[in-house]
Amino acid sequence: MSSAQATKNCITLKGSAQIIVDYLKYGIHSILFQRGVYPSDKFEATQQYGLTILMSKDPRITTFLQNVLSQTEEWLSKNMIRKVSMVITNAHSKEVLECWEFKMEAEKGDNQVADPSQRTSSKDLTRIQNEIREVMRQISASVSYLPLLDCICAFDLKIHTPGNTEIPAKWGESEAFVIPNAQSVQLRSFSTGLHKVETVVNYKLNN
Amino acid sequence: MDDIRSSLDNMVDHFNDSITHSAPKKLLFNRLSISLSDDSASLPKKRRVEQESPNCSLNSTTDSTNNSASDSNGTWKMNKLRAELIETKARLSQVQDQLKQNETKRRMELSLAESKVSALKSQCDFTSQKLLDLTKDIENKRGLENSYKEEARRAKAELAGLKLKYDETVNKLKNEKSQQEQDARDVQLCINNELGDYRRQAQRAELELQSTLKELECIRQRHDEYKARMSGYEELRANFEKQQQSLKVADERIKELEFEIQSYTDWKQVTKVSQERLASIPEMDSELQRLRVHNKQLNKIIGDKLLLEEQVHEYKARLDKEEGSRAEAAALQVKLSHTERELKEWVKVAQDHCLANTLVSPVTLRSRIEQLLQGDIVHVSEKYASESESKQMRNLVRDLEQKIRVYLKNIEDLNMSLKRHKNFKDRLQRKLRTVSRERDFYKQMVDNFDKDLTMSNASVAEMTQDMQVRYRVDVLERTLTGYKDLCTTLDREIQAMREQEQLSDPSSEDYENVKKELDTLRLENDRLRRRKEEQELEIMQRCLRQDIGPPISKVVHLVDNPAAEAYESSKNMLEKLQAEIERLKRHNKKLEDANEQHLNETTTSTGGMTMNFKELNKLRAELESANAKLGKTKEHFMAARKEFRDVVYMLLGYRIDRVGYKSNYRVTSMYAESPDDYFSIALSESNDLALLETPYSETLQPALDQQLAANNSFPPFFSSLTLDLFQRATVTMT
Repeated sequence: MSSAQATKNCITLKGSAQIIVDYLKYGIHSILFQRGVYPSDKFEATQQYGLTILMSKDPRITTFLQNVLSQTEEWLSKNMIRKVSMVITNAHSKEVLECWEFKMEAEKGDNQVADPSQRTSSKDLTRIQNEIREVMRQISASVSYLPLLDCICAFDLKIHTPGNTEIPAKWGESEAFVIPNAQSVQLRSFSTGLHKVETVVNYKLNN
Repeated sequence: MDDIRSSLDNMVDHFNDSITHSAPKKLLFNRLSISLSDDSASLPKKRRVEQESPNCSLNSTTDSTNNSASDSNGTWKMNKLRAELIETKARLSQVQDQLKQNETKRRMELSLAESKVSALKSQCDFTSQKLLDLTKDIENKRGLENSYKEEARRAKAELAGLKLKYDETVNKLKNEKSQQEQDARDVQLCINNELGDYRRQAQRAELELQSTLKELECIRQRHDEYKARMSGYEELRANFEKQQQSLKVADERIKELEFEIQSYTDWKQVTKVSQERLASIPEMDSELQRLRVHNKQLNKIIGDKLLLEEQVHEYKARLDKEEGSRAEAAALQVKLSHTERELKEWVKVAQDHCLANTLVSPVTLRSRIEQLLQGDIVHVSEKYASESESKQMRNLVRDLEQKIRVYLKNIEDLNMSLKRHKNFKDRLQRKLRTVSRERDFYKQMVDNFDKDLTMSNASVAEMTQDMQVRYRVDVLERTLTGYKDLCTTLDREIQAMREQEQLSDPSSEDYENVKKELDTLRLENDRLRRRKEEQELEIMQRCLRQDIGPPISKVVHLVDNPAAEAYESSKNMLEKLQAEIERLKRHNKKLEDANEQHLNETTTSTGGMTMNFKELNKLRAELESANAKLGKTKEHFMAARKEFRDVVYMLLGYRIDRVGYKSNYRVTSMYAESPDDYFSIALSESNDLALLETPYSETLQPALDQQLAANNSFPPFFSSLTLDLFQRATVTMT
């Protein structure tokens, strides 16, 4: 029983990566709905983390996210991601209006194992989900202080990796972006025991 | 001038002669007497008498002497003569004096005259110089006059030349003007031709207009015919409509009748049914009654049911209440037991706390409690009193401590001042010592000087110069060494003073400086700390915003991302919209043109010659361009014509001008003697040239005439004429 429980609570690196990628998926959909990047009639409600999250029905967005997040999961399981940025730009002028950054740090986990790929974490899944729920609630509440996006917007996902990473096919290197006079708000962070994810939103202050 | 000079010289000489000659001349007494009388009219009579008398006497004496009478009266006469001699001598002297005076006067006059002469001479020189200058001026001016005259002559010549040139240019210009007038006339002819063409066009247009008007009238006639036909047709249509209406009315009537028929059949059926029903009325009555009874029974049952339901409800409510009350009773029992227990405990407490051997009752308990409370109050008041006392004591202690501190500070300050004063005293003493030493030294110097002086005064007589010098040198060396010693001592003292100043307690000024430095350093320290904190905050913010991680991180994204798609689509949209805009613009232009054309068609069909503005502008533009072309062609033509004419004139030697409208030509030769020498030739309609009579042609030599008549051709005639004229011209030139 205890061993079954122990095995049940054990989260591997891949599992942690999967949890984080799920969070990213729901988080990004939620941000797309909240910020009005796409019209709200293209979203349908799903239940996750004990919340009602609105996910986009647009097949292009779902396939795009699928591609990006699958690669992200792979890299994350190898601890090759520093952060994932979701950039909201003006569709006409390519000006960066907002940037949601999900910073990822590798943690030690339970065991003092030398090989990082064999690390495990015994953190309770419900606890992790609660933490994720708190962050999702904060994302929804961000509407109150984030400035209105007047223009037609588009989003992009950029992944910050170490310099020596191989760029897979269909991926390209993009230039760094800076939002001038940016305000930044740090939301809650959650940890799976093997990865710690911090969420920060940088937005351009409208004068 | 020379004459004047000579006359002047003569005058002077005469004057001089008169003066000089007068001197050696013998004095004639007549002259003397005259002069005397003239000069000194105021002489006393005595003198005159004396003068007269000596004159007489002198005359007489001369006579007498001449006579040489020697009488006894001779001695008396001799005495008389002596007296007379003396008198005459006196008179002589007087006369001599007067003569001298006269001489002086004459000298003065001479001098005056000489001065006058000199002045006159100077004037004469001046005038002569003036004359010379004037003559020079006159000569210069004559020269200038000549030069000016020459210049005037040259100018006149130039003027004449210029006049000639201008006349020539005027002639040229006149010729050009005549040519241009001819050209203008030609142009005018062309324009008139064109105007004629335009008028013809206008006439044609008018004819067209009339034709169109006629057509219009025909069309109007037809229109009237059609109208008449139309009216006939309309009448027919009205009749037709009336018939249709009557038809409709008839149809309606038919429908109504049919409807009535149907209703009659229905009524029949209804009557049948009602009859059947009437047949079955009694049966229905019985059923009705039965049903009524049933109805009543049902109502009763319903009422009973409602009553029963109400009762049930009441019983349920009661049940609930009873249950509630039961629960309450149970709770109350529990409470009761609890309160009994509490009461027992309170009694125990009261027993415990009350005094022994007293009744246990609330009153006693209350009194006990009151006692205890009073005791508490007393204790609390004591406590407060003791606390206040302790506070006072503490305050006293603090005051005393402060006073102690103040006194200690004062003591320290006083110690400090004491030290300073001591130092000051030491310094003053040292200064005094140095001053005294200086004074001694100066005293020594003064003594030395005194010695020097005394020595020099006293021992001058005793010692020689060398000895003195050596003594002095020695003394000076001693003083020098003394100076050096003094300097060294003073330096040592200065150094000692400086060290002491450094070692000694800092003066108040230094202390203040140190304090100020401390304060500034502290402020800077605080400022730097604040800055450091700000910087740390900023770094944290920057870290939040952008990960200032190691620069070797790649930013990777999917090439096919929604942002890129959106951007591309927006670009495409923009391009499409721009293309659409251009297309619409073109369409719009086409529509406008079509509209204008349509408008034009409608206007021309109605018959008016009102041209649209656009067409008018087009025509105007065309006209202007045509005019410009025409002008250019004309210019070209003119230039070519002029060149051709000049070339012909130069090559063949004849200028042919067209005069008048009727193809009259004027032929002028290059070598003609005057511009009026011309031939007039007319071109007839059958292209025959005829030489007309001109004044020049009459003066022609008959030989040439014959040549023309013989050959019946103009070229040889003209060639012989040119040769003839050329020969004449060359002859005249040579």
